[in-house]
Order: sequence, then C-alpha cells, then structure tokens
Amino acid sequence: MPDMGAELQGRCAIVATTDGGEGLAIARQLARAGASVVLTGWEPGRGEAAAQAIRQEGRDALFVAAHDHGEADWAMVVAQAEAAFGRLDIAVFSADRSEEAPTSELSIEAFRAVGHANLKTVFLGLKHAAGAMRRGGRGGAVVVVSSLAGRTGLAHHIHYCASKAGLELLVKAAALELGPEHIRVNTILPAFSSPLEAGCADGDGAPDEIAKAVLFLASDRSIFMTGAEVALGGSVVRS
Amino acid sequence: MSGKLSGRLIVVTGATRGIGRATSLRLAGEGANILVTGRDRKGGEETVRQIEAQGGEGSFHAHDIAVEADWARVMLAARGAGGLDGLVNNAGMFFVKPIEETSEEDFDQIHAVNVEGAFLGIKHAFRAFADGGRCGAIVNVSSLMGLVGFPNATAYCATKGAVTGMTRAAALDGAAMTPRVRVNALHPGVIWTEMITGQFGDSQALADGFAADTPLRMIGRPEHMADAILFLISEDSSAMTGAELTVDGGRGAD
Repeated sequence: MPDMGAELQGRCAIVATTDGGEGLAIARQLARAGASVVLTGWEPGRGEAAAQAIRQEGRDALFVAAHDHGEADWAMVVAQAEAAFGRLDIAVFSADRSEEAPTSELSIEAFRAVGHANLKTVFLGLKHAAGAMRRGGRGGAVVVVSSLAGRTGLAHHIHYCASKAGLELLVKAAALELGPEHIRVNTILPAFSSPLEAGCADGDGAPDEIAKAVLFLASDRSIFMTGAEVALGGSVVRS
Repeated sequence: MSGKLSGRLIVVTGATRGIGRATSLRLAGEGANILVTGRDRKGGEETVRQIEAQGGEGSFHAHDIAVEADWARVMLAARGAGGLDGLVNNAGMFFVKPIEETSEEDFDQIHAVNVEGAFLGIKHAFRAFADGGRCGAIVNVSSLMGLVGFPNATAYCATKGAVTGMTRAAALDGAAMTPRVRVNALHPGVIWTEMITGQFGDSQALADGFAADTPLRMIGRPEHMADAILFLISEDSSAMTGAELTVDGGRGAD
C-alpha cells in the first residue's frame, strides 16, 4: 500500500528520459516517495517495463513514447500527464548524449544531434512543463541533470560541453523568470569519478546517488532553493 | 527516536538560536544525539529543552569556537558520549560596515570567529573521526556572500570566501582519510534570524522588502536551512563532498 505520509504523495512527476539507467532510477525514487510518474523516452520496451515495475510496487506510472522530444512530443507528454493525473508538479530532465570526436572531424549534424538531445529537449520540456505548472497554480520543481562538462572543458567533446554549459545558464535564467510563481529550477552535476571511497554506507552506485539528489530537489525539503546546483562526487573541488 | 540519523552524535555550533537551533531540532528529530554548543547558556539550554520536548536527545556545552581549548573540551564530551559522527560548523558573526570604517580589530574579530573557528572545528572533528574510526560528515554554514559580493560587507565576504576555500581543500583531505570524511558548505541567502534583524532591523516591511527582492518571492527561514543541512549531513548526499549548496531563493542566480 502507498505510504500516505510519503513526501511526494499526490504529486505528479515527468521523468525524461528513461532510455538510460539514471532516468529509470530517478523514476523509481520519485514513485517510492509517493509521486505518480510519467516516464518518457525513445525506447518503448524499456520505458513500458519500468512503468510496469513501478505499478507493481503500488504506485501510478505511465510511459509515453517520444519520437524526438521536439515541440509536438512535449505538448503530448505534458497533456497526457495532466489527463492521467490532473496536475503536474515535477519535471526531471536527465537526457545525456555524448560522442567523442575531434573538433576538426565533427560534422554539423553530430553537433546538432548532441545539442538537440542535451539542451533543446530540456528547453522544450521546460517550456511545456512550466505551462502546466502555471495552470495548476501550485508552483513546481524542475530538476536538470547536467554535467561537470558544462563548467570545465572535456577534450574531444566540444558539442557536449557547449550543450551542458548552455544548460547551466538556461537553468539560472528560467529560475529567475519562474521564481515568482514558485516554479523552482535546479541542476545536478554528476561527477566523472569520485574521490570518495565506498564503505561508509554509501555505495549506492551513481544512478541511485543522482536519484537521491533529484528527490531532495523535487521535494519541499528544498523549498527555498532555485537556480542552484547540487554537485556530486567532489566534482567541483577536482575541477 | 529512529530516523535518518539514528544512533549518530552530532555537534552543532551556535545552536543557541536561529539556524543552529532549527538544525538541532531537525537532526534530533531524525534520531541524532545533539551536542548543542555556543556562548549563550540560556539559549543553549532552551534548545536542549525543545529537543527533549519533541522526544529527542541533546546536551548543552559552553563553547567559544575561536578558542582551541574549547574545541578540545567539546570533542572530549563527544568522545564520552560515544564518539563523533558529524559536525555542523554553524556559529558565525556578521556585520555590515563601509570598508573605511572597518577597523583592524573589527577585521580580526570576524576572521577569528568565521575563519579560525571553522578551521578549528574541521581540525578537531577530523581528529575525532580518525580516533573513532568513524565515517564523518561536516557541514560548514557559509553564506551567499561567500560566493558573491555585497555592499559594505568586505570583511564578512572575505571570511565566507575563506570558508569556501577551506571547504574545498578539506574535502580533498577528508576523501583521502580511511574511513572517509565528507565536507560540504551551505550558502544561505537572506535568512530571517537575529543575525539579520540585528543589523538591518526587525520589521515586516523589511522582511517583505527582502522577499520582493528574491526570485521565489519569499523570505528564508531557519527551518529551510535545517532541511538542507540534514541533506548534507545524512546519507542523502553520500556522493557529495567539497560542494557548495546555495539555498537562497534564487538571489545568486541573478
């Protein structure tokens, strides 16, 4: 039975994308905290299976297959979330596409593809999610899982760094714009590698560590936070 | 009391009021035994009374964080109570003063409390964690002014900037320890406490003014900081060290 005292009870969350382990861990974590979860991704098999697993734990979950997470997709994903659960409170964007390539060999098509996946889909998702949150009039929480590569360079990843650095400022500008309606927008910066040794009841693995941070930023425990970052794995000190 | 911090012993400095008191209550509510420290015995004992009233465990220890002998005494008490698991380096001082009017004494005093006090806390907590063979966590309560400038706050910004640097360096040292120690910083924006009202005045109009000037259109409360400190000191943030958590209603994004 769902725990009625769970901190996200009665709230609806969209998690994009569920094509990787991170998104799946995030969806599970939010569902366990009581949220109804709308999963969206490009791989229907994976997303449907994840939604099914969450429903078996007694929570609401729905998978919406996306074509390219362009404008039409996002309008549909948000509309389905509102239709199924009557509201939207939380949106998590964790898309992460990267391909190593020397700059002189990098095609404009590859540059665009990474920029589309990492930056443009977040812009469009945020745009439509913020609209739904505004309609609800209850505020909301947007969490963007970015990368340390948005702050420091990474050789052979010029397109990736550009997209992630774009996200960093997208979040700050959106936080200022949406703050008065109490729609909070925050970032998580996962580490490439961590200086922390396991053995201190840590050891949850990267996807679960990210999911715990997402839950903090999605919940009322961070009600006074917006435009801020949660950096994991000592990523800032090692940069 | 069972919770995220069940069986842990945590020192919270400056726990005689404000953010320190709210944090003590929050951490105790998650099962931690709190060593409430500070210079104001009456305020400290009131914090302990409130902890006990909610069914938690805590004790008051007189403590001037700028005095190393006081740290040794507090750590001895922690050892006697079962060994240290966490430190919230919360105590600090704040004043606004134009740079030309800030005396050497003013500078020395705020530096002794905010920088040396935090340094001594990290040092003695590291020793205590190592002696006990414990996985430790330290939260340094810095300020948004440890990341950005503010008019008439040169001395204060210098101290909080130093705390930012110490947090990063100590995080690397702590990560190299066995078992590991995590060190993170919290950067509060304007939080409605005596530290703020003592400098700027205590009026609804002023609180409304700060809220209007904050993207989330609200004023920060000690309870908001307590939630963030619980996140940083518990396993909720077990992958975090050397990080700067800004909880400021969005002021820093502007």
